[in-house]
Amino acid sequence: MLAIVPSATLHGLDGRLVRVEVDVAPGLPGFTIVGLADTALQEARERVRGALRNAGFQYPPRRITVNLAPADLRKGGASLDLAMALGILLGSEQVRAGPGRTAFIGELSLGGEVRSVPGVLPMVAVLARRGLRRVVVAAAAVDEARLVEGMDVSGVETLGEAVDQIRAGRRRRDVASPRRIELFDARAKGSDVSRGSAREAPDGRPTPDLSEVRGQLEARRGLEIALAGGHGLLLIGPPGSGKTLLARTIPGLLPPLDDAAALTVTVVASAAGEGPLSELRRRPPFRSPHHTVSYAAMVGGGPHLSPGEITLADQGVLFLDELPEFARDVLEALRQPMEDGRVAIARAGRATTFPARFQLVAAMNPCPCGFAGTSERPCACPPRVPERYQRRVSGPLRDRLDLWIAMPRVAPLAIVGGSDPEGSAVVGPRIAAARKVATGRPPGTLNARLTGRTLRAACNLTRAVQHRVVHLAELERASGRGTERILRVARTIADLAGDGTVREDHLDEAAWYRPADIRLAAAEAG
Amino acid sequence: MLGVGSTGPVATDAPVGSRQPSSRSVAAADERDAWAVLAGVRGLGPVGFGALLSRYGSGLAILREATTPDGPARLAGTPLGDVDTGEARRDRGVAHAVATAIAEAAQNAGATLERIRRLGLVIVTIEDADYPARLAAIEMPPHVLYVLGDPASMHARSAVAIVGTRRATDAGRAIAARIAADLVALGASVVSGLAVGIDGAAHAAAVRAHGTTVAVIGSGHGIVHPRAHSRLAASIVEAGGAIVSELGPDVEPSRGTFPRRNRIISGLADATVVVEAPARSGALITASWALEQGRECFLVPGALGAPASAGCLSFLREFPHGARIVAGIPQLIDDLGLADHLAEPGVPSEAAATLSDVGEAPGRIGRELVLGRATVDELVAATGWPVASVLAALTLLERRGLAVGVHGRFRPAGDLVFADPAKLRQRPRRRP
Repeated sequence: MLAIVPSATLHGLDGRLVRVEVDVAPGLPGFTIVGLADTALQEARERVRGALRNAGFQYPPRRITVNLAPADLRKGGASLDLAMALGILLGSEQVRAGPGRTAFIGELSLGGEVRSVPGVLPMVAVLARRGLRRVVVAAAAVDEARLVEGMDVSGVETLGEAVDQIRAGRRRRDVASPRRIELFDARAKGSDVSRGSAREAPDGRPTPDLSEVRGQLEARRGLEIALAGGHGLLLIGPPGSGKTLLARTIPGLLPPLDDAAALTVTVVASAAGEGPLSELRRRPPFRSPHHTVSYAAMVGGGPHLSPGEITLADQGVLFLDELPEFARDVLEALRQPMEDGRVAIARAGRATTFPARFQLVAAMNPCPCGFAGTSERPCACPPRVPERYQRRVSGPLRDRLDLWIAMPRVAPLAIVGGSDPEGSAVVGPRIAAARKVATGRPPGTLNARLTGRTLRAACNLTRAVQHRVVHLAELERASGRGTERILRVARTIADLAGDGTVREDHLDEAAWYRPADIRLAAAEAG
Repeated sequence: MLGVGSTGPVATDAPVGSRQPSSRSVAAADERDAWAVLAGVRGLGPVGFGALLSRYGSGLAILREATTPDGPARLAGTPLGDVDTGEARRDRGVAHAVATAIAEAAQNAGATLERIRRLGLVIVTIEDADYPARLAAIEMPPHVLYVLGDPASMHARSAVAIVGTRRATDAGRAIAARIAADLVALGASVVSGLAVGIDGAAHAAAVRAHGTTVAVIGSGHGIVHPRAHSRLAASIVEAGGAIVSELGPDVEPSRGTFPRRNRIISGLADATVVVEAPARSGALITASWALEQGRECFLVPGALGAPASAGCLSFLREFPHGARIVAGIPQLIDDLGLADHLAEPGVPSEAAATLSDVGEAPGRIGRELVLGRATVDELVAATGWPVASVLAALTLLERRGLAVGVHGRFRPAGDLVFADPAKLRQRPRRRP
């Protein structure tokens, strides 16, 4: 007999409605899955078989054919397990009521427990768009599924509960029920733990407060400007000067995300398997991939079109520590996403686009030995090597870094003595206010995205101030990009100061943050 | 100009780099050209050149010989004479490779001379009256100097070499600059090697103080090295100084050219001052040359354990009778015998004028830089200003060339390099 159960899979960041058609027919016992299922999905046969038996149902000794429609969509993952098992129960008439328009999303354990899968949020969202009104997911994922408005969501912990849902034809029990089947309890906990460690977000570390950064006034100021304008920021300093600590304060300094941005971030987190999530993520993400990160891990891709670090950093900050140590092709790959705010990924037969509107913050040593610019120890690098090291920050990346900040080592006195510097609770609201000013002005973007005409319009320079721009452009060797950099940063400095127009002293300060290699060349020539 | 055919070089045009040859000069115009070509041959040093000259009588004769079919073979037989002076060759004669190179140079003589002309170089030979007397007195003086700028700058009444490491500390640069500025104010010229670091600081300060300075480079004039100093080189020439090399225009710098060049630095000077030199620094080679040439040699001592000065200290220990210590800039001037010329140096007041010229806020920051505040944190602490104001003021100083800095540490530049902190400290501080 034929049974049809609606379910969904994940394709990049999008859910796709999949109809699971199960035919249980007389004939040689067997279990075939058709419809472009990948390896993980083929293995679903074993999970489904085990789950049915251990949950007290019969695995029918008949010829079972599962078709996943639409047939031309490549499918992967374990989200269809539950629907397949229910299809078999319906097809073999162990359960007689039909599922109707209730969709089922979940992975099965061999014990018959229903587990959550990555991407519940986008999958439920697509079901809603396609007109389904009721979905059954793993109990752990109910909160995440409920983020989709207008969906009737039920949670189940076992296959048996899912069957109850079908039999009842409606939502029978509420979600976060404390009732668990004792038999599976221990195993269930174990599996949750293993999942947790494998998919834990890499930035599980706590966010330090800005008041923990002592001294480094230039860097604190630069960070404030960078966050207020969304500008690319590069911190250059010897080991131990506090670059990483400063960067880690960023999540505590950024204002919470608005609804649209929060939804995108939450969908990305869900698809990346960081769930189950219980609410919209309002905190801008902060990603700090290690410098050995691969191309695919940075940009996204892989067999399942998984989002990469730049997508996980969407609406937030991508922090690259030890910038020159990253593989060249990995850094080059940032170019297009930084221009477009998204990244297109094509694999054989499949293509998708991920959002990637991240702010780049990077850190590096001044030279390979790390001691250039420290007062206590001279740099041990051969001449010109520090210069070449800094030149490794090349081309497109260089142009996207509006602020270059030197972080010399702080004197011990500054660390132990003096009054507490401003904390995140003081600086954060200033940043939020400046961002509001910037986005409230046409074209409604952060200042880092201003170029050409929009930039000139936003700055609205008087003739005298224009003259100052020309004067300062000499410092940047009069390159057009250098001039735009000064204007963009000056606009943000004025926003922070609450000034509608850009003044000369704003420009003076903006010119300060120019690339370090320019300064290096000037110092050697003088 | 020189045309070299099968019959050898023949005179055609006006000589390259012709200067008024003195009455004492025996080198006629063509002979001077021949020397200019020969001195540029790679591998032919003063010893070989001298041996060939004493065998053939003139540069023209050498070139003529080189263009005959068996010429190179015969040139190669030339005995080198006393080889104890350093250029010990096992065969005790001009090497075959060098002889072949001479033949090649003879073929390309026209192009070489054209190149010299286009670079604007002046040829000064050892037989010219305006060959610097100090240099002529050393062992193995170069036969030919290729000079960009005014050769008279090598004849200053007194000349002091200031050399040191390329990896200089800010303090080392400041000392080199102040010594250089004080010396040129006393009418002395400053000789150095145009390298980055101490050399560059000394040259730049001399130029800033409107003095003459001579840079002896370790490559040909056609090769700009180091590139960072191309502007400095131009300003040296503009200020009446000179860039000098004993190497032909297209000789690349190499491991051997710099130590050899150092003997000219010390040879052009009455005394050599080493400001900062780590162990095994090239500046110590210059100091050794100075002692060998019977010139005075001063070293600025550093703190024990400071790597930038370790070489100075070990040199002082190694040569307790020759090497002298710099106990202070006035003391150095006294030791150099220049104290009599001590007029009002006037330089610090110029720096003060510069500071009051740049505007209130940059002026104040410039003063703090001269007083030794190096980081933004220190400048903020010293002024009590918001960091944004400090950065804006520092930017303006950078724009004026009065401050430079890397990796977050800044130092005075331009006219401020030789500002005397002691004098500035007395000035009343003003708030902007």
